[in-house]
Amino acid sequence: MNPVAATLLAVGVAVAVGSAVGALVARDLRVRLHFLTPVTSLAGPLVGAAVVVDAGLGSAAVQAVLVVVLLAVTGPVLTVATGRLLVAQDRR
Amino acid sequence: MTGWLFAALTLMVVGLGPALWLGARGDAIARLVGLELGGATTVLVLLALSQAAGQAQLMIVPLVLVVLSFAGTLVFTRLLAARHR
Repeated sequence: MNPVAATLLAVGVAVAVGSAVGALVARDLRVRLHFLTPVTSLAGPLVGAAVVVDAGLGSAAVQAVLVVVLLAVTGPVLTVATGRLLVAQDRR
Repeated sequence: MTGWLFAALTLMVVGLGPALWLGARGDAIARLVGLELGGATTVLVLLALSQAAGQAQLMIVPLVLVVLSFAGTLVFTRLLAARHR
């Protein structure tokens, strides 16, 4: 594997794993919700960049970029929707 | 074992494990957070597995999962919102 791709992949996996463990450790649901963002907005693009560097420009790279962009766009939407649920629960 | 397979295995054990735990405990919203974490992590796992297999056409699997996971989770938020009204 390309060393650049390996580094990007390792950092991406570390971010995703750290976020998952952080979400597991966090007691408050609002704090736990914040740990979702690094997975979609940081780890996803890092892994996608690793795919692009490793595979080179081609259909695999284009699809990986599409996956990463969709993940980065939909992640915050889901986080906001869940946050609104928490607010509604608090008001009840 | 290639780096991609090792990354996929690491994400499955240390990433999906906590997500499964969170998705199985607490109230409905707490479980939903676990589902969201699990969906995002599974997309990364499938990206790594597709690259490990070396077949470009397999990239369609994480692509479909992103869309379906988004739609499915939004349905859950709508149903739970109706419950909290």
